[in-house]
Amino acid sequence: MNIIRFEFLKLLKKSRGWLGPILVFTLIMIAYPLTVELTDIELGQSFFSILWIAALLVMMLATEDIFLEDFNDGSLEQYAISQNNLSFVIGSKIFIYWLVIGLPISALGSIFCFGIINQHNFSFQIFPVLLISTYIFLNVFSFGNALSLTKGSILGILVTLPMLLPLLIILGKVVIAINFDLNYSGFLFLLLGILSIIIVIIPMITSYIIRAHLE
Amino acid sequence: MFQVNRAYPYIFYLSLAIYLFSLFWGLFLTPEDFVQGNSYRIIYLHVPASFISQSLYLAMAIASAVYLIWKVKLSVYLVRSIAPIGAMTTFIALISGSIWGIPTWGTWWVWDARIVSTLILFIMYLGLISLHDSFNNYEKADKFLSILVLVGSVNIPIIKMSVEWWSTLHQPASITLSEKPAIDLVMLYPLFGSIIGFTGLIACLVILSSKLQIIKREKNKSWVKDYV
Amino acid sequence: MFDIKFNSLSEALLMQSQNGQNHGIYVWSVVLIVTLCISISFVFYKYKIKEISKKIK
Repeated sequence: MNIIRFEFLKLLKKSRGWLGPILVFTLIMIAYPLTVELTDIELGQSFFSILWIAALLVMMLATEDIFLEDFNDGSLEQYAISQNNLSFVIGSKIFIYWLVIGLPISALGSIFCFGIINQHNFSFQIFPVLLISTYIFLNVFSFGNALSLTKGSILGILVTLPMLLPLLIILGKVVIAINFDLNYSGFLFLLLGILSIIIVIIPMITSYIIRAHLE
Repeated sequence: MFQVNRAYPYIFYLSLAIYLFSLFWGLFLTPEDFVQGNSYRIIYLHVPASFISQSLYLAMAIASAVYLIWKVKLSVYLVRSIAPIGAMTTFIALISGSIWGIPTWGTWWVWDARIVSTLILFIMYLGLISLHDSFNNYEKADKFLSILVLVGSVNIPIIKMSVEWWSTLHQPASITLSEKPAIDLVMLYPLFGSIIGFTGLIACLVILSSKLQIIKREKNKSWVKDYV
Repeated sequence: MFDIKFNSLSEALLMQSQNGQNHGIYVWSVVLIVTLCISISFVFYKYKIKEISKKIK
């Protein structure tokens, strides 16, 4: 519990770390209607693809230095040799990031969805999907960033982005499912299943990688 | 290594002969497909390449699991040496597939699951190579490479099943282990031949490439100096 | 089963199908690409091995 509180305070103090991604997301969402002619039908057509890609990009930005500062000031090494379970520390770190960045972005995303599509059932149904998918994105990108910890984040993104593309296919199917009102909960459970696997495995692998970095 | 060296020419010439013979059979002796016309003959080059591109990834995943569990150094050399060859075969599969698409589908590229996931596989092979090359410390690079290969292997079943899960333009697999093939036997025999021959050729390439890796990584050992 | 489906070399190069299209250019370009890829990588690896052996000597 102590670790979670500590990480939370540390992230809050670094305002560019959490405010930056949220603002970038808002800006992308504002920029989107400017690029299309302002008729409602055309706006709705590609809104969701912009939404998923914006969420993906913003999570990429958010995890950019998730481990780097802790690695440089030695606190990761402290965690690794102390009594605490390193994978639990990493899992709680990702959880805090999701709470501070992923949650507001999901709320903003569904608000923008209401603003553009103008149907409230759409934005209610898109909110849980956004919550789950941002958590998955955060987990996978933090794994990639751990891989290329000292080599800049571009390499980590390059190697982990291909793994997320199948997820984007599923997200595209979710929108179709909402649109035609079929099998929405099935997709939600599929996403939850993916999340429940990732939430356990990624912190374990990441802690292994970070131990290898510290050697 | 010395036994492999002795066996290498036999494997090479045998598989080359099988490959050329079944290509000749497929390109000249099989009848024309009723629906697709003569362009279907590309499958004798396309199917082996796409089959190999996925099997090579599977082989990499097994080898990296062996490295992570038993710390066998040779297996991670194998992983590193397979990666560029896998990229090459995936490239062949993509190019031949899109050339086949021009007369058959009327377009050279479709955004469907099978094709996109093969492209993802290609990008992943390139990413693996660049990850391994970006670390100066071999031990670290080996560890990260094998972890990434294992994590990335979730994509393989997705590629495999994409034809069945999503309704796509790509036709479902004509040959499966469990069912009767959906392709006529006259066309099937040369296809099997070309798969076997191509596998043999790629195995020769893997042998060469891992020989290069071994020499490169063990260049300070005395037995390498004796060998070269 | 084992009779050649084309009468002459030019017919095999063109590969005209029943619907009147010539598919030869597609088939033969794929053959060319595959041959080039495989032979280039064989030559590349042989050359690399030779080079590194020279360096070690």
